[in-house]
Amino acid sequence: MTSETIGPVAVGTELPSISFGPVSRTMLALYAGASGDHNPIHIDIDMAREAGMPDVFAHGMLSYGVLARVASNWTGPDRLRSFSAKFVSMTQVHERVTCSGSVVERFEENGEARIRIAMEARTDEGRVTLSGEALVAI
Amino acid sequence: MNIVFYLAGPTVAASNGMNEGRIALNPRGLFKRSSIGSSLTPVEVEVERGRMQFFADVLGETDPIYLEKEAALAAGYHDIVALPSFFTVLEAAANKERSRRGDLGSSQLIGSDYRYLLHGIEEYQYSGLIHAGDVLTLTTTVVDFYDKKAGAMEFAVLRSVATHPVRGELVCATRTLIHRLP
Repeated sequence: MTSETIGPVAVGTELPSISFGPVSRTMLALYAGASGDHNPIHIDIDMAREAGMPDVFAHGMLSYGVLARVASNWTGPDRLRSFSAKFVSMTQVHERVTCSGSVVERFEENGEARIRIAMEARTDEGRVTLSGEALVAI
Repeated sequence: MNIVFYLAGPTVAASNGMNEGRIALNPRGLFKRSSIGSSLTPVEVEVERGRMQFFADVLGETDPIYLEKEAALAAGYHDIVALPSFFTVLEAAANKERSRRGDLGSSQLIGSDYRYLLHGIEEYQYSGLIHAGDVLTLTTTVVDFYDKKAGAMEFAVLRSVATHPVRGELVCATRTLIHRLP
């Protein structure tokens, strides 16, 4: 396995962020197909309106998947111990989203040195859509 | 049609009222609380390379260990590696399989009402990597119900595990679903 250590990581270190969008209907159709989440509220405007929404909106798990990539692209897949996020607000069609993370803590757990990375996804307007954290072995 | 709003509103993030916590019986509650401790039928799901590549492409991944077998082998993996959120694909596949068999899905088991349902939190704990070609067993158990805001919001917690026959448990997923009650 590819597991050189990350080496010393200072609290406050910012991970390279990943932006995507503007969110298109095509992107939502592709995410529905790729993920297997075929909930029509994300891909069928008729169904969205029937549910009282003005339009389709993005799958929360789409931004979640990109946010998790901010951690895994930085650490490699082997050292990621956990990833979690709370769904804070919806992402609308045409919005752009930036996923970011910063190291907030170093600690020991299960006999290994770990870091806690605070992570969030935000729209270009500054609204938080996801708030979470990753734990990584270093 | 199943309608799920993937949104835990600001009221959830900010909730710290005095009535938080477990309410023995929430008269407004809709979840089937008797399902606590029960499980869905375990099902086997094959991890398909094409599906992993499709998922990685849609999420904008370009690191070849997630996309190209040769690159993954050269990096020391035995096939391409699943992205950290790939578990959601396996779970959807498992639910599809249960539906084909006529078995209950998680929403039926806990009594989700799609008019009020929100996706609150999704957490993954990783014990090992998922590779293309793995055949994994997926299990889901109802682990908790609780209430906040004097019963205006009720929460269901489901735990799903993907297990490899040789490498053991690879991913444990904990999902919190919310009814924002009328």
